[in-house]
Amino acid sequence: MIKKLIKRIAGLIFILVILSFLVFLLMYLAPGDPAEKRLTSQGVAVTKQVLDAERERLGLLKPFLVRYAEWLFGVVRGDFGVSFKDDMPVAPKLLQGLKNTSILALSSLIISIVISFTLGIVSAEKKNGIADHIIRVFSFVSNSLPNFLIAVLLMYFLCIRLSLFPVIAKGDFQGLFMPVISLAIPMTGRFVRQMRAEFMAQLSEDYVTGMRGRGVKRRFILFNVIRNSLGHIFTIVALQIGTLMGGSVVIESIFRWPGIGKLVMDSITARDYPVIMGFVVIMGTIYVLINQLSDVLCHKLDPRTRL
Amino acid sequence: MKKKFLSMLITATLAFTAVACGSAETEVTDSAEKSVEATNTDNGTDKAATKETSTEPKILKTAASFAYPSLDVHKEYYGWYTQIYGISETLFKMNENVSVVSGLAKDATADGSVWTITLSDGAAFSNGTPLTAEMVIRNLNRVAELNERFAYLADFEMTAVDDKTITINTKEIYPTLKNDLASPELGMIDLDATTDFDNNPICTGPFLIKSFQPEGDVEVVKNESYWGGDVNLDGAVFYYMQEDDPKLLAMQSGEIDCYNSVSSAALAVYNQEPDKYNVVSIPGARLQFYILNENTLDDAVREAINLTVDKDAIAAYLSGTVSAAVGPFNPSAAYGQVTVPSVDTSKAKELLEADGYILNSDGFYEKDGEKLTISIKYYAARSLDTIALLIQEQLKAIGVDSVLGSEEDPDSTYIANSDFDLALYCMIADKAGDPLYFIDSVFKEGSYYDCGGFADVHCNELIEQLRFETDTAKRAELANEIVQIAIDDNAYGFVGLFNNTTVLRPGVTGFAENIPFDFYGIDAETTIE
Repeated sequence: MIKKLIKRIAGLIFILVILSFLVFLLMYLAPGDPAEKRLTSQGVAVTKQVLDAERERLGLLKPFLVRYAEWLFGVVRGDFGVSFKDDMPVAPKLLQGLKNTSILALSSLIISIVISFTLGIVSAEKKNGIADHIIRVFSFVSNSLPNFLIAVLLMYFLCIRLSLFPVIAKGDFQGLFMPVISLAIPMTGRFVRQMRAEFMAQLSEDYVTGMRGRGVKRRFILFNVIRNSLGHIFTIVALQIGTLMGGSVVIESIFRWPGIGKLVMDSITARDYPVIMGFVVIMGTIYVLINQLSDVLCHKLDPRTRL
Repeated sequence: MKKKFLSMLITATLAFTAVACGSAETEVTDSAEKSVEATNTDNGTDKAATKETSTEPKILKTAASFAYPSLDVHKEYYGWYTQIYGISETLFKMNENVSVVSGLAKDATADGSVWTITLSDGAAFSNGTPLTAEMVIRNLNRVAELNERFAYLADFEMTAVDDKTITINTKEIYPTLKNDLASPELGMIDLDATTDFDNNPICTGPFLIKSFQPEGDVEVVKNESYWGGDVNLDGAVFYYMQEDDPKLLAMQSGEIDCYNSVSSAALAVYNQEPDKYNVVSIPGARLQFYILNENTLDDAVREAINLTVDKDAIAAYLSGTVSAAVGPFNPSAAYGQVTVPSVDTSKAKELLEADGYILNSDGFYEKDGEKLTISIKYYAARSLDTIALLIQEQLKAIGVDSVLGSEEDPDSTYIANSDFDLALYCMIADKAGDPLYFIDSVFKEGSYYDCGGFADVHCNELIEQLRFETDTAKRAELANEIVQIAIDDNAYGFVGLFNNTTVLRPGVTGFAENIPFDFYGIDAETTIE
């Protein structure tokens, strides 16, 4: 067990080193100069002398490998460096953004799972029935709507027409409601379709036919179907977590939610390499850990994987 | 039977959806009206309540498109925002007529390379400590140390003659020092009393920080001991809102009282209800222009392009967000007096034909069997993507083909490599009421934005004259002459000046809505009824 764990940790470190090197290389090759972005961020032109002095100060004139090695040794010591954009330490920025995005992502994920799980079962069990058609239309429509459109529509109806919420929300529970719903609606649409397909696949298995033939009660059949579907459902959800962590940038901007997605988008625009690299390391770790966790859970839940 | 039922259900659903969509617009419009009415009713109630209880604090609520992690006036561009928040002030400031007027300093006179600056009577920090000449010098030295763009200040010799008088020896004649001192980054901080420069600098402005959320909302309160006199507002809240739609919705719901940088979509909504919203739009200092590559395009083609690009049509298309430009500067400024030939597509075609171009069977000009194709480079910001498309259409109308190339980062691509025929760019052309900065950055041979090969010996001589000319009228004359040379050479095309567009609720005034610079916001005169 310990050997396995060490092997997995070594694998994670190897993946992160390769990933960080590739991202560092891509940023190095991509056009864009952090010094120029910083000095001209308000549209004011600067002279070449000023630009060169800033490049020197930020360490941009050093060779690529020296810069990468300095960054890597810093990270090993727990120092993610300072932002090229504003000289503020990177780690607190990322941790704060990560905390806010995690709250948003996990809240919307839980809501989506609860709704889509229920709808997925109903839809699969009542295949081609009225309930199934209604759920499929909902799934199709909500999956087709971009979340920024949902966000603006929610704002319009809930804030302007019904006056239930303020447009300018604070970072509390009330402020969380609309961004969570905006993220949850399209995600629920996707989950319902995927879960329905998984439940239907299980329902058409021989063991279900056999149970039905033996007159086993519906709830026991459903229990077995759900249990056997969980492995795939965990995989679907695990993949979605990564997307949620980095992909809620528009929602974060619209609802003024200071999450990591918005932080990274701003950093990419500003060529703020230390923040981008910090994000890559954190997100790479999260992705790998979630996938490992998903593998372990699948292994535990589905005896077939142990055969 | 099942199939029949299903098809009926689907038909009914589609019909319902179509009806719902059709009525949605009406509902939206109706509801918008209702919501505004409701807002106004609320406002009316609020106003009545305010009249009855005049002790209610006057707090202005507004939206800010940018937010920064620090309030240190001297670092980066943070001084722009501390000045917008009414916290910091500079020795001189810009007024509505793009002129430098007194601020913390009442006067500045130059004798050769030595400037003598006299501080205003009573100028003091919010803690009551008077602003002294020695403190001014320490502030300027701190900016030189912390902000690369102002590192040149370290080369000046600064002396405190007495408590209220400073002399600055710039070593060589430096006519724009007064303008430079109006830069918001040169705001004054009480360096002795301030303990937290990032979160609570002690400055001289009419407002003090009440709460500051790094890269978030900012709340300020009235500085009761403001040296400049009474302050109308009791406080203000700046909500950090990047997106346009929430700002529009917040304005409609009455959660904010004003904001600037209004988008064209929101502008259309506000303009429909002039009694509910006061929209003020003036040409700003941010310029959209293009550079024509003299190394790839001959004189006739460049002239034909400039005769074809219809700035008025572009400004009209951009629906109020820009004003058609003549030169790089505001036409109301003394140094904005230049002329450009009016649009003349017939003459443009004549020029091309005289240069040997003929129309091919596809309706495009070609020469020696080679089609004339203009490479237009742009980046998708500040409406340059729209302008690129419009220029392409306008050129196509006279038979000039073009290809569009979009870059995410213009400075390290087409500006650095000059691999374009026509390059679009947007920048602040006038940062402090003087033409030298733009002229020196764009027209001077070898300068950062002289990437189209424009080189004129006389123009360079005039730029050197401008650098040392101290007479304001003569400076304007020189600037006009320099810009006219560049225009006549068809080296550039000045498309539009971004309008500074501010929307205010009736009763709100003094939100810098008439000042064409981006770094002013609330001050002692800002009022809300």
